[in-house]
Amino acid sequence: MPLIEINSVTKDYGDGRGNFDVSLSIERGEVFGFVGTNGAGKTTLIRQLMGFLQPDSGTITVNGQDAWSDAAEIKKLVGYIPGEIAFPDAPTGTAFLRQQAELLGLRDMSYADYVTEKLQLDPTANLKRMSKGMKQKTAIVAAFMTDADILIMDEPTTGLDPLMRAEFVDILNDEKAKGKTIFMSSHMFEEVEDTCDHVALIKDGRIIAVKSTLEIKHNEDKVYKLEFRTHEDYRRFLAEDFEHSEQRDSQNQVLVNVHDTDIDRFMNVLTYYPINFITEIKYSLEKYFKTLY
Amino acid sequence: MFSKTIFKQTLRSNWKLWAIFTAIMAAMSALVIAVFDPKMIQGMMDMIKSMPGVADMIDESMLSGATSLLGMLGQSFYGMQGILLGLIFVIMTANTLVASQVDRGSMAYLLSTPIKRTRVVGTQALYLISSILSMFLVVTIVGLSTVQLAHHGLWGTEYTADVKAAAALLEVDEETVDEDLTLIRDNPQAITAGAEARGVDQDVYTIYLNQKLANNAYQAAADALGVDVAAVTADPTLIRNSPEALSAAGAVLGLDSTTYATQLDQLIAQSALSADHAQEMQGKVVAGLTAAAEVLDIEPGDLAQDMGKIKANPAALGAAADAAALIPAESFPEGTPPAAVHQANEAAFLSIINAQLANDEISLDNGLDFSVKDYLLLNLGAFLLMFAIGGISFLFSCVFNLSKNSLALGAGIPVAFFIFQIMSQVGSSLESFKYLSLNTLFDPNAITSHGTFVPQFAILAVLGITLYATGIKVFKEKDLPL
Repeated sequence: MPLIEINSVTKDYGDGRGNFDVSLSIERGEVFGFVGTNGAGKTTLIRQLMGFLQPDSGTITVNGQDAWSDAAEIKKLVGYIPGEIAFPDAPTGTAFLRQQAELLGLRDMSYADYVTEKLQLDPTANLKRMSKGMKQKTAIVAAFMTDADILIMDEPTTGLDPLMRAEFVDILNDEKAKGKTIFMSSHMFEEVEDTCDHVALIKDGRIIAVKSTLEIKHNEDKVYKLEFRTHEDYRRFLAEDFEHSEQRDSQNQVLVNVHDTDIDRFMNVLTYYPINFITEIKYSLEKYFKTLY
Repeated sequence: MFSKTIFKQTLRSNWKLWAIFTAIMAAMSALVIAVFDPKMIQGMMDMIKSMPGVADMIDESMLSGATSLLGMLGQSFYGMQGILLGLIFVIMTANTLVASQVDRGSMAYLLSTPIKRTRVVGTQALYLISSILSMFLVVTIVGLSTVQLAHHGLWGTEYTADVKAAAALLEVDEETVDEDLTLIRDNPQAITAGAEARGVDQDVYTIYLNQKLANNAYQAAADALGVDVAAVTADPTLIRNSPEALSAAGAVLGLDSTTYATQLDQLIAQSALSADHAQEMQGKVVAGLTAAAEVLDIEPGDLAQDMGKIKANPAALGAAADAAALIPAESFPEGTPPAAVHQANEAAFLSIINAQLANDEISLDNGLDFSVKDYLLLNLGAFLLMFAIGGISFLFSCVFNLSKNSLALGAGIPVAFFIFQIMSQVGSSLESFKYLSLNTLFDPNAITSHGTFVPQFAILAVLGITLYATGIKVFKEKDLPL
């Protein structure tokens, strides 16, 4: 049985905003990414997952409990990073973290200290004067410190610089190795591609596709870009028996789709052509989803 | 329903606002109590009442209420400043506790813990209620301390200066003298000492003593009859018809029943007569006062508060006596020399002044007559009103996700109530506004003058509880944009 089960959830805000018949299931130990443009309904789904919003129809269960009616019970298992971070009244980051630990009934702050150090956060700074990145880091520490089994994060890397983002991905991979279940939203494809096992694409409140990142990485349909030395060579190549996804006459370039089983024949044919270069155009999640849009 | 941890955190981020408002309120009520001077207020009231036309416009009970410390507190602090300050505090706090945290998004951190929504919001309600309660507790304690420090109104029965002086002179203890004022009345030396201690003339003091004794006699009679002293004062024939009352009252004055009965008969006959004359006399006295004020070159109003000034200045007294002409010209025999008429009028005016001064002394004593029970009821009522108003603000704080919407109704309605209440007091044409205001249910005047207030208190309490409970329920079931 999946740890998180979202079953045809609809939350209609009118004007095509909200979630419509969303169904997803996330297994224990899985890292699940949730991608979509701004306003696609990512946050709405996460709020329902957290029990802040009640679905119009459909159900969400976390560990077998209803996300709306058993919200408080579920929170024992969940660490959460809100999409828009606003801290309660507390003088410093440390004070806030201690306050939050109190509410969570957490006594041991060693994991909090570990994450703090890893993110190079100075939590003694004044909470109100923190930069966006520092606030984000503080929020990350607050979500991770209980060492919860499930992490629900709404765009957790906003405001982090690339170095810190790498650090964060590192921590995520550690958590994953420990068997945590992670549900995160993002508008950045590379990020989810690097960390997630499965990625769902949401558009206008509907799930368009759910894709395994492993499948993307091990894609057997490759695309190569070739540039021929002369226009004659270019014209001659077009007559060969290959599938072309794009032809650029003026540059003597062609994009060729080659399945891995056909690579030998492709290489053999190429030996008869003088070319300027050949590159593989990497297949990515972004590319995959772009085709669906 | 309640989380200690959240309560502690809420307290930590809200105590400053509470402390500021509580300090201001306690200081204000203490100030109002400390500066209370029954003598001055009595003088002002007499002045207002004596102005033709004015007395009709003002509610009689309002004037009489204000001469006692509690009546005055009820009209000033508990009718206006205290309520307004409490209102602002309650509105601000109720909004901060829920709506503003949802609006900012920081509520997400409270709700991403394993604490149920009802407990989170229930704790906030509890904070609001206990902050209002503790605010009025502090105000009450500070108020009682001020009453004790400034007026000795609470305990260690404070004997008046004259009783102390007379007791020292007579070499008996103060309690004995206080219980039997005839000890002073019947001893010329004690009268001299008492008058000196009070800082008044001997003739004023004698009138004061007699008046005081008469009051005590009424009290004794009322006790014997088992009725309120006000009933006896309004209708002395009650005493006349009861042998027990007669002897009890007579004993206070050191008279036997028969003598007292005779005195009482005279009094009853006199009061029937003077009722007709009162209006006329009042007008004459005001004329005299105005003339004297001109001579002394001060405001008649100021002079009314301190009629002793006329006594001290023969020219002023003369002018006042002539202007007032208290004794009708026809009552003098034909051909009485003007000097004799003047002298008689002067004597009459002087006796009016003396009576007035003695009266001032009496109200000075009465002003300190402070009922702790009424004071506590006043504070309880103010608390209940704030409790109910807090319920309104809290409900809207729970209903709305945006601070501005929560404030629009959560502050707008209580402020409207306050304004309607003020409007309803301005004049009788706007009186019906009181039905539009919750504030009407807390009527300080009803408490100090022993009217009905218990049903109103009950309505406030029930309404408050309903509002808080509704707020909690709404918050539990609503969608939160966190």
